[in-house]
Amino acid sequence: MEFLGLSLALFGAALAAALSGIGSAMGIGIAGGSAAGVMTEDPDKFGSCLILQALPGTQGIYGLLIAFFVLNKLGLLGGAGAVALNWNQGLQIFASCLPIAIVGWISAIWQGRTSAASIQMISKKPEAMGKAIILPAMVETYAVLALLTSILMLMGVQVG
Amino acid sequence: MSYVYTVARLRGMENALKALSETSYAQWLNQSGGFDKAIDSEILSTCEELSSFVPDKELLTIFRLPYDFHNVKVLLKGLFKVRGGEAEGRRYDLISKLGTINTEELTEAIETEEYGFLPYGLTDLIPECWKIWEQTKSAQTVELLIDHQMFRAMLKVAEGLNIPEVTAWVKNKIDAENLRSAVRLARMKYESSKAINFFHEGGFLRPDDVAKLLNEPQETWSRLLSYTDIGAALNAMQESSDLKLALSDVSKALDEYLIKVLEPAKYSMDAPANVLLYLLTKEAEARNLRVALVCVAGGLDREFGRRLLSNA
Repeated sequence: MEFLGLSLALFGAALAAALSGIGSAMGIGIAGGSAAGVMTEDPDKFGSCLILQALPGTQGIYGLLIAFFVLNKLGLLGGAGAVALNWNQGLQIFASCLPIAIVGWISAIWQGRTSAASIQMISKKPEAMGKAIILPAMVETYAVLALLTSILMLMGVQVG
Repeated sequence: MSYVYTVARLRGMENALKALSETSYAQWLNQSGGFDKAIDSEILSTCEELSSFVPDKELLTIFRLPYDFHNVKVLLKGLFKVRGGEAEGRRYDLISKLGTINTEELTEAIETEEYGFLPYGLTDLIPECWKIWEQTKSAQTVELLIDHQMFRAMLKVAEGLNIPEVTAWVKNKIDAENLRSAVRLARMKYESSKAINFFHEGGFLRPDDVAKLLNEPQETWSRLLSYTDIGAALNAMQESSDLKLALSDVSKALDEYLIKVLEPAKYSMDAPANVLLYLLTKEAEARNLRVALVCVAGGLDREFGRRLLSNA
């Protein structure tokens, strides 16, 4: 039981980075398929397509950020050694990681679908690039809210 | 390849029709055979391009199947004439390259009566056509038999795809063809009891119900079919006093309806039905071009020509 708290906290950090990373990879993959289709016919649209394809990548960064926060809180960065955690504290850190892990994973996939649709939109109406970015950015809102929730929860957990 | 890629590429291919010389049709205009061949070559080239990246090739098969059955009709009718003593009966010029079966192979199979390799039930259908021809000498009965099999084959391919929108489209196509036949039969004053064989099974409307329309005045048909979506296409008939124009108006409205059925797919970034929608739009564009060119070449009334053009 001695290391259960630390294990739970690390498991949370791993989930935050892994699930949101998987979601981002899937979202970028979906948008990339659409971008490839448009660029087959019109290679000049590379710039616009790249911006829209990159949008679902932010969730992966948010997950990584939370994982860093957790590792920092546990004292695993900088070589000072891990702080002592009981299982209750470990569970609190694990719970703090869940918002970005789950919302990051699912929102990235949906943002990828919206980006793919926006890429198809700019293939017919290149002048609507601004609107095409706003649509997938709306999905981003909820990933940002989840990131904030995870940060606020993590800040509230007392360790050491 | 995924439908996200496919649909995105189709969006990229959708170009508005500009001056004829700027369109993709222009590249075919120098070949022999004139505009008709140029239009067919453009659609064939589109089908070949699509087949390189569409995940379900059966979507293209559904579009191309009617051309296979058209070719079978042309070849059989030609042979009927030749065997009836008309040496110049064959009309190879009417054969379309848009079918899925290689035209040389199909011609050879029908002329040598080696049907074994033919798909879509043609192996059994062609001997049956010969039997009917020998008994009745009626090309119309043979054509009906071929059409019945064509719709059965289209429905089978669509059901195999397991895409509800595509199956619904094939059923709507059968209904549209039945209604088109009903308008023609009404012009010829057919009775419903004799007309039933002209209608195909497999649509949303039962052939019996379509046949019953023949007992009613034509201006009431759209009201009688108001419980269906396709019934609205018959409004065009109410608006025409001239029967000849009514037939062309209804035919155009039904073609437009068949495109409208698939239009919700436009709002999806990965709906497979987009492939069929693209091909039908391309076909409508080609048909419009053909109408316009025939009107100009034949010096036909411009208003009549404009009326035939599809808005799809």
